[in-house]
Amino acid sequence: MVDWRLYEPLINFARKRSMWIVAFCTGCGGIEMPPLMTSRYDLERFGMMPNPAPRMADLFLITGYVTPKTLKRIIITYEMQPDPKYVLAHGSCPLNGGIYWDAYNAIKHLDKYIPVDVAIAGCMPRPEAVMDGIKKIMDLIETGKADGWKRYKENYEYYKKNQDELFGEGWREKTARRWIPWLMGREKKREEE
Amino acid sequence: MIETALKALFILLYATFVGFMFMGIIRIVTARIHRRVGPPIYQPILDTIKLLSKKSNITHGLIYDFGILYAVGATILAVMFIPLGSIGVLRAYGDLILITFLLEIPMLGIMFAAMSSGNPYAGIGAQRALLTLLAIQVPLGFAIVALAEFYGTFSTYEIVMAQQTMGWSIFHFPLLLAAIAYDLVLQAMFGKEPFDIMIAPGEISLGPMVEFGGKHMGLLQIQHAIALFAETLFFANIFLGGGVVTAFSSSILNTIAGLAVLLVKQVAVLLIATFMGAIFPRFTIDQAAKFYWKWPTIIAALGAVLASL
Repeated sequence: MVDWRLYEPLINFARKRSMWIVAFCTGCGGIEMPPLMTSRYDLERFGMMPNPAPRMADLFLITGYVTPKTLKRIIITYEMQPDPKYVLAHGSCPLNGGIYWDAYNAIKHLDKYIPVDVAIAGCMPRPEAVMDGIKKIMDLIETGKADGWKRYKENYEYYKKNQDELFGEGWREKTARRWIPWLMGREKKREEE
Repeated sequence: MIETALKALFILLYATFVGFMFMGIIRIVTARIHRRVGPPIYQPILDTIKLLSKKSNITHGLIYDFGILYAVGATILAVMFIPLGSIGVLRAYGDLILITFLLEIPMLGIMFAAMSSGNPYAGIGAQRALLTLLAIQVPLGFAIVALAEFYGTFSTYEIVMAQQTMGWSIFHFPLLLAAIAYDLVLQAMFGKEPFDIMIAPGEISLGPMVEFGGKHMGLLQIQHAIALFAETLFFANIFLGGGVVTAFSSSILNTIAGLAVLLVKQVAVLLIATFMGAIFPRFTIDQAAKFYWKWPTIIAALGAVLASL
């Protein structure tokens, strides 16, 4: 067998320099993405590409506040991404609620539900600050410290407990039934009977 | 025997490497047109290494895995049939119709894999890709018929050799018309902008590619690289005179010079497609089908008629 540890520096360099972003913009930080992607602060220099499909994405940007409704989608999208995957939280809202600190319908601490690798403070962070966060996550990937996907697997009980506390038991199946057509049909048939 | 195997290996490695460079060139040139800096030229290689080194991988069954291998295999077979300068493994059997068929086959493999995943976006993407495939058949067929009528042969290698004495194909008026039609068809084969209906990133989430991730997508990147190389090589061979150099006395020098000449022609074909892709927005599927069945068909049919006169 080939000892893949030998190629680890090359693979880490490739992972660092080719992070594909899943295009899932929550809250107001989505508006910072167009200047980051276009000619002013060209992120494609670092090999980053916005990508509509979660299956081939590596980096998940949480751009702004998170409501319970979005959080369901965020968790399912996060679990669809193949390992290794990284999460970058924008702004103060995913950190501590930000200006929604006393809102009944906003998630105050995102890292109770999914692991966050790098958080950028600010309301909203300027594109320069986002690029600084991206630089930080690149350094973490190169040294192997961006291990959010490992933490999610190891502490899955903790994350699942928090998610179930918020949404109730069996929320995945309920949500999936509303999205997936053949499950939806089966559900309707059961109702008719 | 060993010589043939070595040649095949060389063609495969050269096609993959140059194909990846072509993908890098496309991204850099598009970035410069947008006034951006753009990624380094080796960026597609890094993407592929990253995709192949993913720790987890999702499969949707046997057809899902088989379709990808089918696409990669068909593309490798196509590149073996096309004469690459003075190197060729199966070039004696390189029929025009066979090569155009093999260049379209990979799309069917990707369709198999995409449809078996059950994702609705993949279904829509596959439907659009098949319609595009149907739309480009008519002008493509007329262009091939024009070539065959003009040179009196279907063999790619004989057409390349005939161009050494008669001058490039595009300097003859009927074949110039065929070349224009074929170049418009090439735009859809590359999946570049006016006809990138099947993958439409912002609209149907990359279409057939939506479910591929990890190693499947890595293999598809390799397939895309080889397909870019094969399609540009085929155009350079049949319309731009190929890469036959006999200026030097040593055969190795002649081969290298031939590859260099071919590379310049291939990059020229690629840059035309990139420029067209960077400045045009996307057609809808019915507009694309109408376009292909009108203008390129008329041009190519005129070429075929003039060539047979």
